[in-house]
Amino acid sequence: MKIRKELSVLLLLLSLVLALLPISANRSFTTNPDKLLSDVLSKDLSFTADQVAEFVVREDSTVQLIDLRPSEEFRKQSIPGAVSIPYAEFINKDPEIWLGNKNIRNIFYATGGMEADFALVYARGLGYDNSYVMEGGIGEWISTVIGTKFTGERITARENALFETRKRAGEMFAELNSLPDSLKTKYLESRKFSAKKLDGGCE
Amino acid sequence: MAPLTSYFAFPEWLNMLTALLIGTGFGFALEQGGFSSSRKLAGMFYGYDATVLKVFFTAAIVALIGSQFLGYLGLLNLNQVYVNEFYVTASIVGGVIMGAGFIMGGFCPGTGLCAMSIGKIDAMVFVAGGFTGAFIFTETYPLVEGLANARYRGPVKINETLGLSPGLFTLLMVAAAVAMFWIAELAEKKFARPEITNDL
Repeated sequence: MKIRKELSVLLLLLSLVLALLPISANRSFTTNPDKLLSDVLSKDLSFTADQVAEFVVREDSTVQLIDLRPSEEFRKQSIPGAVSIPYAEFINKDPEIWLGNKNIRNIFYATGGMEADFALVYARGLGYDNSYVMEGGIGEWISTVIGTKFTGERITARENALFETRKRAGEMFAELNSLPDSLKTKYLESRKFSAKKLDGGCE
Repeated sequence: MAPLTSYFAFPEWLNMLTALLIGTGFGFALEQGGFSSSRKLAGMFYGYDATVLKVFFTAAIVALIGSQFLGYLGLLNLNQVYVNEFYVTASIVGGVIMGAGFIMGGFCPGTGLCAMSIGKIDAMVFVAGGFTGAFIFTETYPLVEGLANARYRGPVKINETLGLSPGLFTLLMVAAAVAMFWIAELAEKKFARPEITNDL
């Protein structure tokens, strides 16, 4: 009987230690798989390169672009206003720190592979309904926005507005990516976790 | 059998061998603990023998504490540990069917196989019954599909649902287990029956 009491006390003490340790709770998918699949396959969750260019030009504060590429690639070239969260880091940490602000729409993009889509499924599966994806990745964005050319004599007002947006976004892109290294670092540091900072205030 | 590490792939035969060794150890421990006697499991229901509760709950809380510590030390990635999916209706219906089977048969699937391997005839019938049930379920799945998938909750964890940290939940669980063991031993005294396992 004595050994049982000792073991009980040992187990209780060990679990008391556990209760006092700062173990972060890992969270699990709670969304119904069928619903999740039909959600992420629908077009409503993706933005085109042009829509993203418009957010960039308007400096829309309700939108957060998230660059999932490795940080070296992000440093070399990135869309103005984007924050860098490398994919490997994104899926290994609690996304609450990045996606916690539900008033902001988070738009993922990567090189154009599957990573942005994986991130979308992951984030939505954890209940972050404010997650979206940009179609085609950064390659598509650059070719659409920077490589834009209008030919022909006359263009419609709609085409003109589109062209203006692309031109302005292209200028901002060139400006950011041609900054000297020190200034660029300063700029990127200032943007880090800006999404989280907005979360404050009196709630 | 799950891979032991994701850094490099173990050959299939090594995974199988590991599974075989763990399974053999589990079966041996069950047999030595007296679980190949159907009285052990039935005793749980009638209150004269709470060995099943004590053994399995001790295993569960030891694993709970151990995995939390391994996770904290960075030796085990708890994010990659499979979490069972929760189908509310199926859990209730299945639990009732399985529980009734436990009492009537006097085995759970593990102890059934264990008792079968030492040549118990009732265990052979029990295992055959289990396979028949699995066969019927599979063949009639379209009929029970609605019931089987009703009220799906996903792979939820109790501590998440309650909003507790894993550590605190572990503490509560261990405290509850110790309390249960104490009550179970009181019940064992109250409903005691003569030991006849050796006479059978």
